[in-house]
Amino acid sequence: MAWHLDWAGVLTGQPLQWVISGFLTTLYVTLAGSVLATVLTVALLALRLTPGKVGRGFVAAYVSLFRNTPLLVQLLFWYFAAYGVLPQTWRFYIGDVHPWAVLPVNVSWLTPEFLCATWGLGLFSAAFLLEEVQAGLNSVPAGQTEAALSQGFSRWALLRYVLLPQGLANAWQPITGQYLNLMKLSSLATGIGFSELTYQISRIESYNAHALEGFAVGTALYLLLGLVMGWLLVAFGPKRPREKKPWLLAVAKSHGGQNGV
Amino acid sequence: MQHPSSPTADSSAVFSSPLSTPSNVAVEFRQVSKSFGPHQVIHQVDLRVAAGEVVAVCGPSGSGKSTLIRLINHLETLSSGEILIHQQPTAGLSGKALRQLRTHIGFVFQQFNLYAHLDALDNVSLALSKVHGWKVEAARNKARELLERVGLADRAHHFPAQLSGGQQQRVAIARALVTDPSIILFDEPTSALDPEMIGEVLLVMQELAHSGITMIVVTHEMSFAREIADRVVFMDGGEILEQAEPEQFFTQPAHPRAQRFLQKVLFPLRSAQEQLIKKGDVDGVAP
Amino acid sequence: MEFDYSVLHDNFTYLLWGRMADGQPGGVLLTLIMAVSAGVIALLLGIGMAALAWRFGGWTRRALFVWAEFIRGIPLIFVIFWLYFLLPVVFGSSMPGALTVTLALAWFTSAAVMHSTLAGLESLPVGQSEAGIASGFSQWQILRTLLLPQAWPNLLPSYLGLLISLLKDTSLAFIVNVPELTTVAGQVNNRVQIYPAEIFLFVGLIYYLLCATLAGIAGRWMRGGNRGSLR
Repeated sequence: MAWHLDWAGVLTGQPLQWVISGFLTTLYVTLAGSVLATVLTVALLALRLTPGKVGRGFVAAYVSLFRNTPLLVQLLFWYFAAYGVLPQTWRFYIGDVHPWAVLPVNVSWLTPEFLCATWGLGLFSAAFLLEEVQAGLNSVPAGQTEAALSQGFSRWALLRYVLLPQGLANAWQPITGQYLNLMKLSSLATGIGFSELTYQISRIESYNAHALEGFAVGTALYLLLGLVMGWLLVAFGPKRPREKKPWLLAVAKSHGGQNGV
Repeated sequence: MQHPSSPTADSSAVFSSPLSTPSNVAVEFRQVSKSFGPHQVIHQVDLRVAAGEVVAVCGPSGSGKSTLIRLINHLETLSSGEILIHQQPTAGLSGKALRQLRTHIGFVFQQFNLYAHLDALDNVSLALSKVHGWKVEAARNKARELLERVGLADRAHHFPAQLSGGQQQRVAIARALVTDPSIILFDEPTSALDPEMIGEVLLVMQELAHSGITMIVVTHEMSFAREIADRVVFMDGGEILEQAEPEQFFTQPAHPRAQRFLQKVLFPLRSAQEQLIKKGDVDGVAP
Repeated sequence: MEFDYSVLHDNFTYLLWGRMADGQPGGVLLTLIMAVSAGVIALLLGIGMAALAWRFGGWTRRALFVWAEFIRGIPLIFVIFWLYFLLPVVFGSSMPGALTVTLALAWFTSAAVMHSTLAGLESLPVGQSEAGIASGFSQWQILRTLLLPQAWPNLLPSYLGLLISLLKDTSLAFIVNVPELTTVAGQVNNRVQIYPAEIFLFVGLIYYLLCATLAGIAGRWMRGGNRGSLR
């Protein structure tokens, strides 16, 4: 087999357009999915803390459901089954071409694929994020809770001023890992025909059979995106007092937790 | 009020000191019982503590003394009976009213329980700014005064991890005082400290005792009980068995279990030997 | 919302074990076969890497860590693609898709096995290996006879967790058309078209039952049933 590599076949012309488009699509859906996941995590945390059994029961069921089924099956469900339940007018509207709903460079977000991918990724990741945040909160010694209650702090004030600052800092590494996971798992949306990076790379492969070059470029781009995202999250995230970890190690450690396809 | 000092005294008699009159009782227990499931930890206790009084509570492990003070600020809840703070009943308080109550009662824990993510100054000032709505600067100023009072003004910006056990406990005391409570409770404040640090904490507690605040201290530290307390309360098996002025308690304890307890605490080796002899396992060795 | 279960009824055996009769296992059966095989291989590889990292430390350990981060830093789909492309070249002939996916899963998961095993070994009190050294054991003996047996009860729940992830990861075979449960469900959906909700809910349910049961077992082990080997 001839092992000479033709990078031009992947990095020029039409294939390059596809790579750029795919990379940006992955980036956008990661951002959108992350925002949704964060909002949901906060809501679930609040729900879990309401007095009574209903809130906690619902959250427990949610977490159990989304953690014990594969993300791909969830995406297939949202795309093929749940999407069809939306009112017809909505679906027609989304199905139309809308020049205003386009992100640079030529990535339209008002499509069934983008919306289902964002939705699926967000709901799935929230279940994992919630558990990481909870583990962080639990890692704060119980005595501090007693001390705060003794001083007259309400449950909310306790959470806000004592538990969350420490809990988030303690759990920041696994939390970063979950966001990185979201980015990597966006590749599964290939299965619903979403034209993110993995989809585009396979397209190149069928276009000019440059599999090795294509996969190499894709691999490099995912690694790069992961490093940059990880660095940003660790650099701008909460730190434990007196913690100065070399950032490369911190980012690498965040990768260690990939799970839950 | 008579002191029931004979061993056959009715254990439901009210233990109060000659200092208390009906109007200046700071803390009152009336027939208080507490069970954890099937395990009854406190058994129909009556107790009155006068405002400004310093009470030391001692007794063997498992006697219920920690639970006793934790009931006062509702870290545990009563199974039956009543507790009155400044003659106000406190049963069934919750939400805002409970938080109000707690701001009038300071609590110092065995494990200090400082907020690990905040420096000493913020540890002390947090409740003022976040619970009582003080402006941050004003809260910090008051915190500085209190740190000065416990001798740690120069450590205001140190984090708990950078402080020794004795220093952490002193910060914890300053924190408990920041809301000007009328009552302050101590749950074995020196038990987690290395011996050489106990003194610095006792010094702070002595200064407090002379300041007129009501103090209830659960402790093994006999020197505190002897030198600083106004009254010693002895608990065993969830009941108050004896209470007396310190000098009386330490030299002539009346209740046999109090006598045994003091023997074990003051002369541990000798009392263990005597136990063995009594059991007949060892030939008597002359003490 | 009306649910019509006839589609599940008609395709039940296909979903459960694919074309078993033709010698081509599929559906749930293939999912289980792939997950368990990948798990065994990942376990061997991962424990081996952890043993090397533990024994030699220093640059060996760092290199292994970098390798692990590299594997975990790219999406699992890419790992499958890479193996799909490279393995036929290495072995000189095309390989069954299921085998490729299984090897990809095993390789990917071995990094996590290495991390978990190392964490378990290093959480043991350092005095254990010191006692072994003082008694004259070799490093390998210490690992095999002293440390691994003690770390084992704590490692089992983590390994079980990785098996659960493996079960879910087999669904990625959908992308390369290997007929495990998700692929097979997709095929039925493509053919029948009008019952997507029933199909995917059912498939979700099967995965849920498998994973949640294992998760429950792992939870019980962590809470105390499996702490027993300190005789």
